[in-house]
Amino acid sequence: MSERSAFALSVEGLNKQYSDGTVALDHLSLAIPSGCFFGLLGPNGAGKTTLIGMVAGLVRAPEGHISVFGHDAVTEPATRLLVGVAPQDVHLDRFLDTRDVLVYHGRYFGMTKPNALRRADELLETFDLTAKRRSKPNRLSGGMRRRLVIARALVHRPRLLILDEPTAGVDLDLRHELWSYLRRLHGDEGLTVLLTTHYIEEAETLCERVAFIRGGRIVHEGSPMQLMERFGEDRLEGAYMKTMRS
Amino acid sequence: MSGLGAAQWRGTFALAGREVRRVGSLWTQTILPPIVTGAIFLAVFGGALASRVGRVEGVSYLDFILPGLLVTTVASQTVANSATSLFQAKSEGYIEDILTSPLRPSQIVGPFVAGACVRGLAAALGVGAVALPFIGVVHDPAVVVVALVTAALIFSAIGVITGVWAETFDQHSFVASIVITPLALLGGVFYPAASLDEPWSTLTRLDPVYYLVDATRAGLTGTHESAVWLSLFVAALLAVALWLLAVGIVARGWRLKP
Repeated sequence: MSERSAFALSVEGLNKQYSDGTVALDHLSLAIPSGCFFGLLGPNGAGKTTLIGMVAGLVRAPEGHISVFGHDAVTEPATRLLVGVAPQDVHLDRFLDTRDVLVYHGRYFGMTKPNALRRADELLETFDLTAKRRSKPNRLSGGMRRRLVIARALVHRPRLLILDEPTAGVDLDLRHELWSYLRRLHGDEGLTVLLTTHYIEEAETLCERVAFIRGGRIVHEGSPMQLMERFGEDRLEGAYMKTMRS
Repeated sequence: MSGLGAAQWRGTFALAGREVRRVGSLWTQTILPPIVTGAIFLAVFGGALASRVGRVEGVSYLDFILPGLLVTTVASQTVANSATSLFQAKSEGYIEDILTSPLRPSQIVGPFVAGACVRGLAAALGVGAVALPFIGVVHDPAVVVVALVTAALIFSAIGVITGVWAETFDQHSFVASIVITPLALLGGVFYPAASLDEPWSTLTRLDPVYYLVDATRAGLTGTHESAVWLSLFVAALLAVALWLLAVGIVARGWRLKP
């Protein structure tokens, strides 16, 4: 599918109110340049997961406009081929083994079986899961399951990788390990990455651009350096705290 | 076919393959129990009671109840399969993998229906195989096949709707026990509708299972109460309506997407 825009993701005037009255997104607008490692930071309930759900098709058709590489994400099903999502909660098909989780995902996304098998083996190698290829997901450690979810998001070679709190609840070693995987993916494959995280130092380390989200709106956006300068802080965490407390 | 169209069909076949594989890998839960249950029904009703009941509508009681047993086996197993598989995918969260894919709603519903049909028809085939030594010549095999496949389509679509609707395991079981079992028992499995007084005779004729059983009975024994074409037409209409409903609720994201 062709790229019609210099922006990997562009959302305009996005609104979402859940049936219980909660306003998750409030006229949210955001543009992520193609090839950028972008961080979305905000407290629980700020709207991060809702935004990701809308881009991925996991939340009902929104009010507003979402385009992925210039294609309408709601009306053009082919847009789904451009997006890979690693959700916050690890949900893996328990009837499939580790390798088949990847193979079936690739095939749901239209890959031929031989291509999906080849790609699965490649990703098992990349994410150090080859030894566990025949294990069921519930036999994997938490860290392995996290890696498998990220690998699954990459099977169909998306151009935009969305990672919803990929390091939540993982130990420091694994977090650093995942950082190095993500850096490599971004660098080697030129992927656009949208990362949400509660670890501000993670965003500061990995992201080229960062947006702070609060109450369903983007309140500040820029490179980590720009945001630190804007708030007169030497760490991104300081800028974040000032934003959330203002 | 466009690149996207081909990709979507590959995805559809992969999901259908996954559903059929699930049925096969769980055969002791999906295929074996309905065959054993069917065999027990045949032994009790066809063997122990048949001599006391005598002939019904000109055929032996075993021949009379076998069509109903086949339809109820298909109905119960297809509903159970699609409802459980979708409910599990939903409650355990891995349905996200499917919902984020480029598959269209009909291409999501289709594979769940396919898996359910394989289970329901395999179980019916097993029950039929058990009964085979005790029944006579099959009158019209094509009618039997069409009736059972239509039954499978109807009830697997009901299972999809149930799986999408259910938010708890109790709700998921509710449809089987409160809807499917009464429909099956009132569908003329064990008795001819004409033998009932009003309003039961009319109520039986409003039950879609009745038409499926009657058509299957026509195919197996040549005996039937309603015109075969009418039975199959009513059943086909219902199958189309339920398919459209199932696709519609998946398209809308009802109980699948917040």
